Amino acid sequence: MRHTDVYAISSKDIVFESFDGEAVVLDLSSGKYFGFSDSGSRIWQALSSGVDAQALIGLTAGASTIGPAELEGFVSQLLELGLLVGLDAPPQPLPDELLAELAATSEPLTVNVHDDLADLIVVDPIHEVEEPVGWPAVKQAS
Amino acid sequence: MPVYNRERYVVSALRSLVRQRDAADLDIIVIDDGSTDGSVEAVRSMMRETPCIRLFRQSNMGVTKARNAGLKQLLPQTRLVSFLDSDDISPMGRFTADLACFEEDPGLDLTYSRMTLVDKIDGETLEPAADSHSITVRGIHLSAGIFARDLIERTGGFDEDFKQAEDTDYLLRIFESQAKYVMPDTVALYYRRHPGNMTKEADVPFREFMRAIHKSMKRRRADPSLRPVEGIFDVKDLAQWRFP
Repeated sequence: MRHTDVYAISSKDIVFESFDGEAVVLDLSSGKYFGFSDSGSRIWQALSSGVDAQALIGLTAGASTIGPAELEGFVSQLLELGLLVGLDAPPQPLPDELLAELAATSEPLTVNVHDDLADLIVVDPIHEVEEPVGWPAVKQAS
Repeated sequence: MPVYNRERYVVSALRSLVRQRDAADLDIIVIDDGSTDGSVEAVRSMMRETPCIRLFRQSNMGVTKARNAGLKQLLPQTRLVSFLDSDDISPMGRFTADLACFEEDPGLDLTYSRMTLVDKIDGETLEPAADSHSITVRGIHLSAGIFARDLIERTGGFDEDFKQAEDTDYLLRIFESQAKYVMPDTVALYYRRHPGNMTKEADVPFREFMRAIHKSMKRRRADPSLRPVEGIFDVKDLAQWRFP
């Protein structure tokens, strides 16, 4: 039985990067990509790095605090989208800087799904990287 | 054409353009981005025979700034713009084919054609070698496009936040806007696959590609009139495909 609400990124096909604190998530298997509101980006970062979801309830996010229902809704969305899976593991501590960044946000928790670039994301012919990253690279004979 | 240490390929790239002089009144702008090999001499050797090549030199600043430097050199009378990297080949007939689209529709903003990835190009014919391996897709590449000057001006320069994937960002910006395009079946580019391809050098491209997607989402969030970039790129065939 799980005693905490700890999650992890569901597979190596789910990759993410942050730009100015805003997270972008790609699903390399489906080609979908995901954008977050400012608060959503911070909560995604916390959850995907193993912070206990319960520990996020009541935190200050802009002018309000993170409510249990709001968080639960957000987490179930991330689970349904296949971005996170439940993990039976000890929770990771919440970094102080994330707390401060969350306090400075102004938008509610949201995640947007896009699939217009699926063809390109599933296989990018030019901007390939090495295979360990999980990007289906087009290799050439050396 | 941005050039950085491509003495081995740049002459072929230029020849592939110059041989199409009859199809268009070409003004070939070469930006040497601080090459330390014989690239500049190679370009100059071509210029002796072909006055339509103009060479500009700058210290090494990366491909994004080199592309912007090239755009700044566009002549006032230039109506259409395309790009060619210094190690690639513009297939014979590429301009004839797509310029016809602009003739048919004066309101056209761009043509966006296909590209062939190939591992061996015959140095004489500038065609894929008989024993080469290749695949043709509608990928994401500046050379696939011919852009109306108005569109170039509307789009602005390449975003210098990008070390790479500046081309992806540029094309996304164009297709998000209400640009009027057609997608001919022309093969607009032979994209040379070799160990020194710029985009293979580091892990940077992946993050840069993600940055392009991030910026695209941000733009569309801020401006709902921008549209998703649907149905343009078609690279599915690459999924199951490997160069032997």
